[in-house]
Amino acid sequence: MALAIAKENVARWLEKLLQAGEVVAPVRSSCGDVLFSTITSAEQVVWDFPNSLHPPKELLLPQTDPIVRITRRGQHHEVEPIIDRTRRFLFNVRSCDAKGIAFLTRMQEMEPADASYLRRSNNLTVISLACTTPCQLGFCICTDSGPFLRDSYDAQLTDLGESYLVEVASPKGEAAVAEAQSLFRDATEGEVTQRQKLEDAARRHFGEETCHFASAMRRISTCRVPDALWEKMSDWCLECGGCSVVCPTCYCFSVKDLGCDGTWIRCRVRDSCQYSAFTLEASGHNPRAQRKDRMKRRFFHKVSAQYYKRDGAVGCVGCGRCIKVCLGTTHMPAVVAAIRKGKWHE
Amino acid sequence: MLAVPTACPFCSCGCGLYLLAKDGQLVGVAPSETHLISEGRLCARGWAAHEAARWGDRLRQPLLGRNGKQEPACWDEALDYVVTRLKKLLNAGKPVGVLGSARATNEENYLMGRLARAGLRTNNIDFAYRSVCSPILDGIEEVCGRLPPAIRLNDIAATHVILLAEGNLAETHPRVASFVLRALESGAHLITIGYRKTQMTRLASLHLQLRPGNEGVVINGLLAAMFDLDLKERLSTVIGVEAIRRDLDQVERTNEVRQAAEWIASADRAAFLIAPGCGQSDQRDAATTFAELAAISGHLNRSGSGLLPLVARSNAWGAWDMGIAPDRLPGHDLLDGARSRQRVEDLWGKKLPTAEGLSAEALLQSVSGLIVVADDPPSVMPRRQDAMAAMGRIEFLVALDAFVTPTTRVAHAVLPITSFAETDGTFTNMEGRVQKLRAASNPLAEARTGWQVLAELCARFEAGASYSSVSDVLREVGQAAPRYAGIERKLSKDGWGGAMIETIDSTKFALQPSRTTVMEELTSAERPYLLIRDGTFDWGCDPLICYSPTLSRDYRSEQKLFPTGFVEISQGDASSLKLGAGRRAKLSSVHGDAIVPVLVSRDLEPGVLFVPYGFRDHVSSVLGAHGVAAVSVERG
Amino acid sequence: MNDVFLPDIACLADVRDETPDTRTFQLLFRDSKKDFHFFPGQFLELSVFGYGEAPFCIASSPSRPEALETTVRHTGLLTDALHKLGEGDEVGIRGPFGNGFDMEAARGKDLLFVAGGIGLPPLRSLIWNVLDERSCFGNVTILYGARTPTDLVYKEELDDWAKRADVEFHVTVDTASPGWTGTVGVVPSLFNKVTFHPESTLAYVCGPPIMIRIVIQDLLARGFKEDSIISTLERMMQCGVGKCNHCAIGHRYVCRDGPVFNYGQIKELVE
Ligand SMILES: Cc1cc2nc3c(=O)[nH]c(=O)nc-3n(C[C@H](O)[C@H](O)[C@H](O)COP(=O)(O)OP(=O)(O)OC[C@H]3O[C@@H](n4cnc5c(N)ncnc54)[C@H](O)[C@@H]3O)c2cc1C
Ligand code: SF4
Ligand code: SF4
Ligand code: SF4
Ligand code: FES
Repeated sequence: MALAIAKENVARWLEKLLQAGEVVAPVRSSCGDVLFSTITSAEQVVWDFPNSLHPPKELLLPQTDPIVRITRRGQHHEVEPIIDRTRRFLFNVRSCDAKGIAFLTRMQEMEPADASYLRRSNNLTVISLACTTPCQLGFCICTDSGPFLRDSYDAQLTDLGESYLVEVASPKGEAAVAEAQSLFRDATEGEVTQRQKLEDAARRHFGEETCHFASAMRRISTCRVPDALWEKMSDWCLECGGCSVVCPTCYCFSVKDLGCDGTWIRCRVRDSCQYSAFTLEASGHNPRAQRKDRMKRRFFHKVSAQYYKRDGAVGCVGCGRCIKVCLGTTHMPAVVAAIRKGKWHE
Repeated sequence: MLAVPTACPFCSCGCGLYLLAKDGQLVGVAPSETHLISEGRLCARGWAAHEAARWGDRLRQPLLGRNGKQEPACWDEALDYVVTRLKKLLNAGKPVGVLGSARATNEENYLMGRLARAGLRTNNIDFAYRSVCSPILDGIEEVCGRLPPAIRLNDIAATHVILLAEGNLAETHPRVASFVLRALESGAHLITIGYRKTQMTRLASLHLQLRPGNEGVVINGLLAAMFDLDLKERLSTVIGVEAIRRDLDQVERTNEVRQAAEWIASADRAAFLIAPGCGQSDQRDAATTFAELAAISGHLNRSGSGLLPLVARSNAWGAWDMGIAPDRLPGHDLLDGARSRQRVEDLWGKKLPTAEGLSAEALLQSVSGLIVVADDPPSVMPRRQDAMAAMGRIEFLVALDAFVTPTTRVAHAVLPITSFAETDGTFTNMEGRVQKLRAASNPLAEARTGWQVLAELCARFEAGASYSSVSDVLREVGQAAPRYAGIERKLSKDGWGGAMIETIDSTKFALQPSRTTVMEELTSAERPYLLIRDGTFDWGCDPLICYSPTLSRDYRSEQKLFPTGFVEISQGDASSLKLGAGRRAKLSSVHGDAIVPVLVSRDLEPGVLFVPYGFRDHVSSVLGAHGVAAVSVERG
Repeated sequence: MNDVFLPDIACLADVRDETPDTRTFQLLFRDSKKDFHFFPGQFLELSVFGYGEAPFCIASSPSRPEALETTVRHTGLLTDALHKLGEGDEVGIRGPFGNGFDMEAARGKDLLFVAGGIGLPPLRSLIWNVLDERSCFGNVTILYGARTPTDLVYKEELDDWAKRADVEFHVTVDTASPGWTGTVGVVPSLFNKVTFHPESTLAYVCGPPIMIRIVIQDLLARGFKEDSIISTLERMMQCGVGKCNHCAIGHRYVCRDGPVFNYGQIKELVE
């Protein structure tokens, strides 16, 4: 059942959410960038922006994530998990990012499940805003992750001009609405129809061009992408690893102890399969020594049938971030196109 | 979570990024799309900027060498001790000096200059990285006057031709490489000059292969081919055309060189990028010719075109501008220029010492008291072992740093200061853009802000002025260095993306006649191979890199896999000398010999062996004081 | 739900030198009631506090639960710190992880163990398990090689195996040293000393990658089926639980889906 909230009431809803927990929403920095940050008041929320380059996955998989506290007392050591049970609302997040979070959660739920991640995600309510005007670089339509969502959200807002239509899909979503129940009313039939029209229009926005993941996937899965092509493309990658930092579905990490003199925090730190020492073994052997091997790995993980079968989705939610962030020119759409055409930059 | 906009502490591209901090601790980095240079992009180093500061082996309290070891002390005690010991040396007439740093802020460097010149009354001031980058900067200065007319980094993406005297751009300056890739995508021609195949040479439309020693021939060839073209009014801004034209008469112009010259001359916008290390045997000459080439092609007075010396470390340019050199003053003015002396003397209220000081190498060898700030000279300077040994002999060594380094380990007094992540200040990137660093967390434990400690030292040597904030220091920099005039005001207005220092337009460019135009033959029948030390800066030795879990992996694993270093050898030479992977080679030059493992490389031409900067120690006996040497090679 | 990253504390009950750079550590959980069940071929994530964690095979057999052991070669930062620890010092343990060897499939079969250098520890776990239930298996053949006699691990146990009538055991070194009277040569050279029945034998191969490759080719040439050649893969690992991606090959994780694979599976992994 769909609800509606008048735009002028959203601030009051947010005030309620702020009392119930932490609210993380897009905020404009002093330098003009939009970053997902903890807010203290409703006015901080930015509504008018395509999407933030820095992904909200930071909330669930922080770049530096303390997981265990280790203390030495004389001869003995004590270890305790660092537990984060903060109730959080991720507010005004884009559809692709909500899908990305669902993807990460599925991954972390796989046996053996990661309790520290799941504690955070179980306490996180995802309130997304459907993209009535899709962003310029995104291609969520090809990856089934937008512009409107059918799943992967707790509550989805749609901008109807004067009000937001609010679709609630989970008990967490219901609880978020219940924090300020009186501000919501049932949506009218007209509003529901209007939402549908907006979705159709948004989908049309992507034009006729269909996605080419399928043919690329076939070639990647069966190792039919010529090595020479990988080699050629890999000269256009500058090995920054930025693609892994901003991608909503990337989750590579390392585990390191931070601290000194008997108190350490064991941290999960962000990593990237694009860095050469990522697979370096203690013996000096490196199974992915060349850049082309690592590049191949990235695209195998994201666009192979093998992973598609396991994850039930391609490892790309079409957010387009890698296009902006790639220091080289080897972002997802460019590489997928090159694989389909069998050539690069010609 | 706090997102603090600041400048990247690593290379001199000057990318902007947000340091993310939570509960006072650095936890990550976020990109900025609005930053002029980064445009949302960063390289692997920039993405790990938070790790560098947080995971580092940090200095937490002042340490004084007592009873043969370093013992904790309180600040008052430590400062008293440092001042007393230095004064004692000064009173005894012994030489003292200061080493600034290409990773310290402008404010810190400026105060170091003030401390040395007005406080310690010496011009013994330099920074270690200058010994790597000064040859090319000096070479360019000969042609361009003081200011290389830098091309803006963003403009590189819109150029039609890029001439790159290659070190290893993709590794040293990824952001510049990134702009080059964008230019290539829109059809630009990349011309690389170098002795080694690199990622950039593989992408080049034309690669001019060098053999160490013939840089002069290749770049002169370009210059000659350029003169063959109809340059018309382009020559109106250069002086000395006729003399140089005569010199170039005999120079060989290959077809490749003619093609390159044509591309450059016909391009609307062109970028000339030169890395330290180009011209192993005579970097200064190579840089001079390179700058002349840029000058006569007319691109130096054209907007969207220009020259860029690829200095590596974040604030090398700033240290240069703050006058951290034995013969310079703030603003990089010559020490003996009457007007500039007067300006600085008026500002500081002190007469300046007149005798030119010692350069970093000489200084390490001969001073009795030395203050080293935010740097580890041995890891930066070409002759690491000599620098380390020299430091060990210094009577009183003071180190101010945020990190534990080989230098702080041997210092007699260690003063813990802030790293880039805990201080406000400014960096000047290689195009002359001054940008703000902003503190993202508090000084660690007892560490103090770098500029405050330096200001305090100035005061204790009667060279003080009172600063209530770091902006006061920057304001004073504006008075001391004319190109920085009003910088403090400009920065507070422009903010993100910084402010450019003043450039002086419409300079005349002076061509330097008579240069070597023959290939310098270093090899002989007896020593038919050339051993080259990589000229690119070795990031692996930077404490900022070694302490980051992500960044240190490659470097450390190389150190682990090759504890005795290696030299790279071409496939051809390896097979004719029967030196397969894992074998050791005995290299002998006139200076001495060494036995090192070889690594067979596809990137080298036969006749050339290559040693990475990080492994230079293992062949220092072969190289002597040089970057290149003729050697004989046999299985060792 | 248990935190997969939370180690248990154990102390080093016994430390034995095997070779100049390899030691065997016996681990005792501080919580004496701790249930710890494992299969041969599984591994632990061992923490040296302040240095982090690294994966090590369990070298002892589940049939001898009183002593949990791991044999570690000194190679880098963490192993260096571990080698500096002595009896009574504490470490952290997570695990056991990985699939381990399939004991059921081995029942009734002839077993051939081929180990090189530090590849013996994971097989040692399996070998003792087999020997402790000797009657359930057919012929047992153990071939072991190391660079020099000093590089042989578990020297006393090797003597033990050599003496046993129900085990065929051969050992070789690449380079002999004074006093060595045994075979000299690489491991595959031992194949000519033994006869096997490829159709009823499972071959377990562990050692450096180059040795594994040569041995597998040899075994295939001798008529072994791909599924009957079993090996363990080494990969850079961080989490041990299929989350961090360091050990991923194709869509498999060596830490979770391995480290034990048969050759048929190994061939299908997409690098
Ligand atoms: C499933 C599995 C089972 C294993 N079982 C065993 C076993 O039973 N026994 C065994 O011995 N090993 C075993 N290993 C290998 C073992 O995990 C490695 O030897 C171990 O991780 C090495 O850890 P380290 O920190 O000492 O090595 P490091 O080499 O230190 O690894 C950490 C990083 O630090 C760097 N580094 C390390 N040392 C130096 C140095 N001195 N100087 C500069 N840089 C350095 C390296 O580049 C490396 O990237 C196993 C591995 C796997 C995957
Ligand atoms: S691969 Fe690129 S477009 Fe796809 S989800 Fe990741 S960042 Fe977004
Ligand atoms: S973002 Fe681009 S340049 Fe950077 S590692 Fe990824 S593919 Fe390479
Ligand atoms: S290119 Fe240079 S300034 Fe930019 S992120 Fe990398 S190291 Fe930092
Ligand atoms: S070790 Fe982390 S996924 Fe295998």
